[in-house]
Amino acid sequence: MAGQELTGNQAIGTQDGLFDNLLNNPVAASLFSDQEGSASRNFFLSALFWSLLGMGAGLFAAAEFAMPDLVHNVPQLAMPHLRMWHVNAVAIGWLSMGYVASMFHMVPTLCKTRLWSERLGNFTMWVWNILMVSAFCTLLNGNTEGREYAEFGAVLDVIVVVGLITVALNIYMTLLNRKVKKLYVSLWYFLGSLFWFPLVYIIGQRTFVALPGLNDAIVGWFYGHNILGMWFTTVGVGMMYYLLPRLTQAPLYSHGLSMLGFWGIALFYAPTGTHHILQSPAPEWLKAIAVISSIFLLVPVLTVLTNFFMTMRGKWGMVVTDLPLRFAVTSSIFYLMTCIQGPFQATRWVNWYLHFSQWVVGHAHLALLGTFSFILTSSFYYSIPRLTGKEWHSQGLIRAHYWLKTLGFLLMLVSLTIAGLIQAAGWAFGVPIDQWSLQIRPYWFLREISGVMILLAQCIFAYNTYKTLYTPVPAEAMAGQAKPVGVKA
Amino acid sequence: MNSYGKAAIGIMTTFFIIIFSTVLMPMVLFNPKPNGRGNDYSVVSAGDPHRGRQIFVREGCFYCHSQFTRLQDRGYGPLVRAGDYVYETPHQLGTARTGPDLTNEGGRMSSEWQKAHLINPRALKPGSIMPSFSYLSDRDMNDLVSYIQTLGNMRKPTKFVQAPDEYLTTTDNGRALLARKTVDTNASASANAGRGIYTQNCAVCHGLEGWGNGPNAITLEKKPANFSRPFYKQYPDEFWFYRISEGVPGTRMPRFGEVLSEEQRWYLVSYIKTLPKDKEVVIDSIDQLNKLQPVKLPVLTDQQYEPHTGG
Repeated sequence: MAGQELTGNQAIGTQDGLFDNLLNNPVAASLFSDQEGSASRNFFLSALFWSLLGMGAGLFAAAEFAMPDLVHNVPQLAMPHLRMWHVNAVAIGWLSMGYVASMFHMVPTLCKTRLWSERLGNFTMWVWNILMVSAFCTLLNGNTEGREYAEFGAVLDVIVVVGLITVALNIYMTLLNRKVKKLYVSLWYFLGSLFWFPLVYIIGQRTFVALPGLNDAIVGWFYGHNILGMWFTTVGVGMMYYLLPRLTQAPLYSHGLSMLGFWGIALFYAPTGTHHILQSPAPEWLKAIAVISSIFLLVPVLTVLTNFFMTMRGKWGMVVTDLPLRFAVTSSIFYLMTCIQGPFQATRWVNWYLHFSQWVVGHAHLALLGTFSFILTSSFYYSIPRLTGKEWHSQGLIRAHYWLKTLGFLLMLVSLTIAGLIQAAGWAFGVPIDQWSLQIRPYWFLREISGVMILLAQCIFAYNTYKTLYTPVPAEAMAGQAKPVGVKA
Repeated sequence: MNSYGKAAIGIMTTFFIIIFSTVLMPMVLFNPKPNGRGNDYSVVSAGDPHRGRQIFVREGCFYCHSQFTRLQDRGYGPLVRAGDYVYETPHQLGTARTGPDLTNEGGRMSSEWQKAHLINPRALKPGSIMPSFSYLSDRDMNDLVSYIQTLGNMRKPTKFVQAPDEYLTTTDNGRALLARKTVDTNASASANAGRGIYTQNCAVCHGLEGWGNGPNAITLEKKPANFSRPFYKQYPDEFWFYRISEGVPGTRMPRFGEVLSEEQRWYLVSYIKTLPKDKEVVIDSIDQLNKLQPVKLPVLTDQQYEPHTGG
């Protein structure tokens, strides 16, 4: 086989011959482990690590809203720099890494096979972590391209693309090895996302092109909205489709509806970006497309949620005892809220009033923190015991995590929404900014408190994970605990 | 081809149609031409506006400050058009306004004010939550200030702050109001008549000379307006009348319409208009910008406490 690895002559098999030549020494072999489930587990743990730094930065930035003179003369801790890092760390670090981890666990399970290459998966994991370290060093120093959600510099952009392409390759090859004929709807979402998102990312970066200002904004918001629409939403919904039936042991309510939802999202999500610059001098026809497809998004969203809630029929009581399920159900309820808000505020009338205010910040957190962070947490709690064969150290800590995060998040949503309404009234009625800005100070403090609760929840989560994975368990207690990875696609 | 192959083709086709219609079509169909109203960064001033723009990007100012005015925005200057942005890459349109819009910020405040405000925002704007950018080097700060001073320098205002419609001749209310007006607000006799009303009602907060430093000012978090600022010199009579009558929401400025008769309020307007203009350097034309002295950090005094921006 020597020398054949990259020629494509090798048969697709369970594939860990790929890096064997490179990995004769034990250190490299342990860095690029080929143990089953190791890539998924490592991705989960890295995601958790970056979530602490990302949410911590968010908390710190929130503190600077409430107490603007907290820090002086430290550029790395200035609010705008913390904000860049916060957004990228939670989006690219926590959510995206967690998504890849979940796919690395769910796709092989749904295909009744192993991940095509654990080594490649671990390689991607290191690439992604190097990316995050570089992002930490650059963004906090203001080394940015100045484009919202596309702040990464050129080198980092290339690393992201390498990461995404290796993930896509790994997942697609796993799919080709599948032992089942029919593809479950989660796979549709995962495969679609892994096709769409690398393209959206490449189109959206504008690293090597200089478009005229407004065109730059149009492409920028195509990307800014589709990192949500073609990645966070589609993978997140795919995870919900996987987790809800698994956790409730109930069959999915309707496969037909799930297909309708999939094609609806594929059609209506991508053109909505321009609704972010609805009141700028962008072309009117493009705004019309954006508004109309934003409203049409209600169709797939309600389809998807009908499917979830009907799957939950007669099983709602399970959320009392089944904690991953509780996270998943909470996530789908926040999804309903965010998707009612979204089309509503994308219409011209409402946008006229609400745009530029903290209401929108609340909406963004409702989607990314309320919905997708919760479903990822559910997946984390569900997958880790199956990947490592270890039961969670403490159910009580999971409950503490749930309540702190849910209540903290609700406090954040309420305070940002009220602050947003005050701001919106200020803009609409021409009240000078430094008058209404005094009225929203209490809400900065409330948001700060909510941030403390959420970060505390995440720390409890990390502690629980640490105790679960790194506390030695007596051998006899371990025996027979590893759950069989059942497949029911 | 099996059904999954067809589905894959469906996914790709859908996606490329969308990219075609929302990314490629705007590139082809939407080509605004430069209209001469975009910011002109080539004007010579104390700093380098081009470099200042890079600092603006590096410090992430656009997360809180937008750069496009909307129809409903009052007091933010001329409305933008598509051709204004041709040379603005990366765009700094912004998404949220935690701070004011900066589209036409150039010349609104003196460079000294801008620089002092970057260093210690709350010394000039009590209650502001803007972060302090005191860590910027002197060169960075001068360049950033000169960038801020070029914003909107090619967009000439065609009309200034306006009172709501019920004070203007566009409505019956406004026409009736102006028909009842007997005071010549430009006459020095009316200003003299207004002086006493000002002293009795306004001076306690706004100060005898209108500097916003009356004895009550010290107790107010939102400092009273400093009428010597050039900004207030652009107020039309109707706007003064509106402000006096209805007060300023969110501040201690009361609705004097409840206390003073219409005639008294018009006298007050004529007096306030005569209050002297401060000797601040303000740039509202390129000629003046060219003559701008190098940026110097001013000594902060109480008189530079900044009132609300009005409008």
